[in-house]
Amino acid sequence: MLADAYAAERFRLLRDRAALFWGFVFAPLAGLAMSVGGDLFMHRVFHRALPGAQLDLGGKLLSAVSGATSPFVALFLLIGAAAILAGDYRWETWRLITPRNGRGRILLAKLLVFGEAAAWSLGLMAVCALLAGLVGAMINGMTVVAPGGAFIGRLAGALVIVWLQLMIFGALVACVAVAARSTLGAVVAGVLVLIGQSIAASMHGLDPAPSLKALLLPAYAADQMRAFVLAPAGLRPDGQTAALGLLISLAWLAGLMAAAVTLFRRQDLTRE
Amino acid sequence: MSFALQAEGLTKTYGAVRALDDFSLAIPTGGVFGVLGPNGAGKSTLFRIALGLVAPTRGQIRLLGAPAGQLSALRRTGSVIETPRYPPYLTARDTLRMLALESGAGTVDIDGWLERVGLAAAADRKTGGFSVGMKQRLGLAAALITRPELVILDEPTSGMDPAGIQEIRALIRELADRDGATVILASHQLDEVRRVCDRVVILAKGKIAAEGAVDSLTASQARLRLVATPTARVLEILGPKGVADSDGAVLADIPRAETPALIRALVEAGVEITEARWRDADLEGVYLRTLDSQEARDAR
Repeated sequence: MLADAYAAERFRLLRDRAALFWGFVFAPLAGLAMSVGGDLFMHRVFHRALPGAQLDLGGKLLSAVSGATSPFVALFLLIGAAAILAGDYRWETWRLITPRNGRGRILLAKLLVFGEAAAWSLGLMAVCALLAGLVGAMINGMTVVAPGGAFIGRLAGALVIVWLQLMIFGALVACVAVAARSTLGAVVAGVLVLIGQSIAASMHGLDPAPSLKALLLPAYAADQMRAFVLAPAGLRPDGQTAALGLLISLAWLAGLMAAAVTLFRRQDLTRE
Repeated sequence: MSFALQAEGLTKTYGAVRALDDFSLAIPTGGVFGVLGPNGAGKSTLFRIALGLVAPTRGQIRLLGAPAGQLSALRRTGSVIETPRYPPYLTARDTLRMLALESGAGTVDIDGWLERVGLAAAADRKTGGFSVGMKQRLGLAAALITRPELVILDEPTSGMDPAGIQEIRALIRELADRDGATVILASHQLDEVRRVCDRVVILAKGKIAAEGAVDSLTASQARLRLVATPTARVLEILGPKGVADSDGAVLADIPRAETPALIRALVEAGVEITEARWRDADLEGVYLRTLDSQEARDAR
C-alpha cells in the first residue's frame, strides 16, 4: 500500500522534469559552474598557477555537502519539496488520487520520494564538488591532497546529518502545504524558518556550552552532530550532545509529519 | 439485497449552507442509477462524502457495505467527480499508469482503455493541452482501469460533443449490462438520464424530492389530455387541477380512477369532447414538477 503510493509518486516526479531540474539538479550544477567560473577568473587575474597551493579535496567535499542547508541551495530543494508535497493542491488533483490509497500513506510516500530525490541531489552535489575541485586544481596548478582513511565515514555522517535536516524541512513543507493548500506558501514558510533558525543557531553558537533550549533548533542540533562526526578522532567532543541532537531532530521529523498527516486526514477536499 | 451506496441521516453544512439535509438513500447494486437535481442540490457533496473526500457533519454513509472512506471499498470504486483535472506535465498514458500504480492495480491494459474512451490518438499528448471533453474521456478511463464494481460519475459528458456523448452513453450502459458494474450517474442532461438509467432520485436543497424507476416516475405523473370545447368551461370544472396546454388542449392532473366521473361531469355540463387520452410525463416534466412542488412545500 505504501509501496504503491511510493511507486506512483516516484513515477510522477520522474515525469515532472521542471520540478526535478529546478528542485534537485540545478543547485549542484550551479555550484559546479560557479566554482569553475571562480577558478577561471582567478587564473585570468593572476595569469599563472598558484605556486605551492594545495587543494584539500575531502574538505571541499564536506563543505559542499554541508552547504546543502544554506539558504541558496535549500531554496531550490524547498521548491522541489513543494512541487512534490503541494502539487496536488496546485493542480487540484487530490480528488483523483485520494480515493485510490490512504491519505496518510500518500503524504508519507510523498515525503519519502522527496527524501530519495534529496539524497540523489546530495550525491550529485558531492560529485559536482569533486569535479569542481579537480578542475579548479588543474586550472590553477594546485596540488590535490587526497582525503585521509576515515574520510568516507565522515562524509557519510555529514550526508546523513544534512539529509535529516532536509527531511525536517520536507516535513515542514508538508505541514504548511496542507494547512495553506499552497505551493508558494510552503516554499515561503520553509525559507523563513530556514533563515530564522540559521540566525538563531549562529547566535547560540557563541554559547559557552550547548543547552537543551539551543538543541531544540534543528540547525543547531545538526551543527552539534556535525561537530561530533567531523572532528578528528582525538579531538572528538562528548557524544551525548550529538545523540541528544539526533533524537531531537528525529522528534521534529516525526512530529511535523504526524501533524501534516493528522491535518490532511481531517481536511475536506471540497476544493483542493 | 446488497447495496452499492447507503446513506443514513446524512447532513453536510458549509457555514450557513446545508448541502445535504438529513438525507437517506439506498442504492442497490446493479444497473444504472441516476441522480438529478439543480446546481447546489447536493449531488457532488453526496459523491464527495461517499469517496471520503469530505466528512459529513452528521450521519453515515456506506459504500459497497463498508463505511465511507475505507480503502477496501474505495479500491472497488471508480469515480469521475466534476471536470477531472490532471498534472499537466503527464501524458494521458502516464496519467493512467500513475493512477494504476497508486491503486496497486498491477498490470493494466492502459492502451485498451484509452482506445475504449476514444483517446488512443492522444495517448502521448500531455493532459495540460486537453479540451474539457478529452479530460472527461480520460477521467472515465481513469475511473475504469481497475475494473471497479461501482462507478460514480458526476456529469461525465459535460463539455463533450454530441457524438462523444453518444459514445459515453453506450459505454455506461455497457458497463452495467456487460461488465455487471453498478453505475451512479449525476447529470443535468435529462435525455441522457432517461436513456441510460434504470432508476433515478431527484434532489432538491439537500433532500430527496422524488425517487423511483424512470418508467414509474413518468407514469405516476401522467396527466389526462382533453381536447374539448368550450375550453374555458373545462378549466372552470377542473379548477386548480386543470391547466391549458399550448395547443388549446387542457391537461387534467387527476387520479386515473376519476376519469369516468370527470368525463361524465363534462358531458353533463355541455362540453363537447373530441379527444381524451392519458399521457405519461417525460422526465423533464417530472423533474420540473417535482422541483416546483418541493419549492411549494418548502415555502409552506
